[in-house]
Amino acid sequence: MTAASAGTPSQSALGGPTPAVDPTRGRIEVRGLTKRFGRFTAVDHLDLDVVPGRITGFLGPNGAGKTTTLRMLLGLIRPTAGTATIEGRRYHDIPNPLTVVGSALEATNFHPGRSGRNHLRVLADAAGIDRRRVDEMLELVGIPAAASKRAGGYSMGMRQRLGLAGALLGDPRVIILDEPANGLDPDGIRWLRGFLRHLASEGRTLLISSHLLSEVEQTVDDVVIIANGKRVAQGTVDELRGDPTAFVRTSDPDRLASTLAGRGLSVARRDGGLRVTTNDLAMVGDLAHAADIAIHELRSEKTHLEELYFTLTDQDQYRNRNLGDAEGTGPGGPVDRELGQLPPPTGRPVERPQPPDPDGASGETGRDGTTVGDSAPTRTARQENGS
Amino acid sequence: MSKAIKAEFRKFFTTRLWWGMLIAIVVAGAALAALFALLFTSDTVMRGDGMGVPTSDADLARTAFTSGIGVGYLLTLAIGVMTVGAEYRHKTITATFLAEPKRSVVMGAKTILLLVVGAMYGAASLLASVATGAAILSSRGHEPFADPEIWRTLALSLLVLGLWALIGLGVGILIPNQVAALLIAVGVAWIVEPIVGAVLPLSEIGGSIARYLPSQATNATLDIQTVGFGGPVTDQLPWWGGALVLTGYAVVMALIGTLRTVRSDIS
Ligand SMILES: Nc1ncnc2c1ncn2[C@@H]1O[C@H](COP(=O)(O)OP(=O)(O)O)[C@@H](O)[C@H]1O
Ligand SMILES: [Mg+2]
Repeated sequence: MTAASAGTPSQSALGGPTPAVDPTRGRIEVRGLTKRFGRFTAVDHLDLDVVPGRITGFLGPNGAGKTTTLRMLLGLIRPTAGTATIEGRRYHDIPNPLTVVGSALEATNFHPGRSGRNHLRVLADAAGIDRRRVDEMLELVGIPAAASKRAGGYSMGMRQRLGLAGALLGDPRVIILDEPANGLDPDGIRWLRGFLRHLASEGRTLLISSHLLSEVEQTVDDVVIIANGKRVAQGTVDELRGDPTAFVRTSDPDRLASTLAGRGLSVARRDGGLRVTTNDLAMVGDLAHAADIAIHELRSEKTHLEELYFTLTDQDQYRNRNLGDAEGTGPGGPVDRELGQLPPPTGRPVERPQPPDPDGASGETGRDGTTVGDSAPTRTARQENGS
Repeated sequence: MSKAIKAEFRKFFTTRLWWGMLIAIVVAGAALAALFALLFTSDTVMRGDGMGVPTSDADLARTAFTSGIGVGYLLTLAIGVMTVGAEYRHKTITATFLAEPKRSVVMGAKTILLLVVGAMYGAASLLASVATGAAILSSRGHEPFADPEIWRTLALSLLVLGLWALIGLGVGILIPNQVAALLIAVGVAWIVEPIVGAVLPLSEIGGSIARYLPSQATNATLDIQTVGFGGPVTDQLPWWGGALVLTGYAVVMALIGTLRTVRSDIS
């Protein structure tokens, strides 16, 4: 399921004149990466691959270990075990790293008394980058007017843009952004999406973290999801999304099933209704109407990806894990047990599983309080951007 | 290394800290020089023959010219603390280490910055105090440059301020909270350490230890007579001994800071 093979664009975009391209060029490789803070395991034997020309979303609930992972990748935090390399080298070993790897971590990392332009000039000095590039970048991210103002007065959105300008200063092949959409308004997110897409189309490697699936789902090509420091899914967005399905409840399921099947749709029975592999609710309704079958309920179901992510973020045990007792967080904790039950990344989406043992280790509430499929509102958004 | 140094200098001169400190140091230099020049040339003090009161022209000049250094080194100490403290406080240390992952190079660049900045502030402070002091002394009939050794004292003042900034660098790293680091560093250097230095000479062993304290090493470097509770300290280090001791403090603090920084996680 290597995402790379699907649509890696021509490598020549940034390749320059060298015809024999280094196979590690633009690649990020993380193997068995582990970080323990005292007895607390923030990142747990993580494997991760990021390839050029694509945007990889690094998803996980707050506290999942995303920032810690990125900081290890950037040589800011020393791993307890494992390796994290960019183009086959540790960050420390990359000569003049800003010209190879551009990154923006939390958007608060500015001296409030220093102007945005001077912040970038400091970076340009440190990496030996031409000063003219500073103003070009400010222009590019759309904050030239604020450039000479003190960064302490910047809005969150402006800070994000300044961080982005800093990441791009050295014209890097690999770009790593931690929660870049945080604090952006919808317009800003749209702008960011187009911007990142453009960078990827130039053949650059993009690794983007977020704790909100909805923020990045339409931006990224590949997804890596982590929870409690462990990887729980990796694949292309399309793979993880699975096929779009509609759920329909009717007075006459047998006849509707055969009607729909007759139109080449794949139909399965469930909970006294049918699930149809399509995102076209109107067609299902029309077919039923034409066959004179009464519809009691008709809605889109969550995609597999949404459901997977919902499972991770909606339950207490996956959030604030450092607030509770540490018992459930070790290897063999609820993650393994719970996520072991999750549906496979491709194929027919299924209901969110019930915990296998009701007397689960952590004993936290709310684990089985909701049934995703039934309580979720009809997903009109899916229809709009589907197909 | 030169890129890292350039970046450090730009960092230093792109916030308001540098000129705020410059004003403080110049004002302190001028005001204290004026105060001491006027005080020690006034009739009451001259007649009083008190202990430690300078009488010769050379001593008068030295006292007036170096009077701002005591405040000056507290300020460069604070600058040293803030050079690294602000980076941790505002998390700009992340960007710094992303641009130059070899942390010892960054620390080396900061060391050079602080030595240069210390000398720069020293020059500004001396300019103010020598100008003010010389004007007052000569107007009262004293020769400000009677002793050529005053030039050695002035030159070493530049070094002293840089060395205190390096001590601050170490403190700023060892005490991660910038405000706490500032209060502790300045509080100890300004109040605690001089008191300890004044009390120690009351015993014999204490006296031989006291001259190795940073403030007394500083005085020795500048040929300033240290006065303790037991009167003027007699066995001060020679000027070069004081300079060596103070350099030792600076090297140890900067090295401890560097080792700490190289090992620590930046999160
Ligand atoms: N320096 C640290 N010391 C102790 N715990 C830490 C430290 N840094 C992060 N953590 C903990 O590690 C976990 C992962 O944090 P983080 O990587 O920031 O998660 P994310 O970025 O996915 O929200 C959190 O529970 C956090 O509290
Ligand atoms: Mg984070």
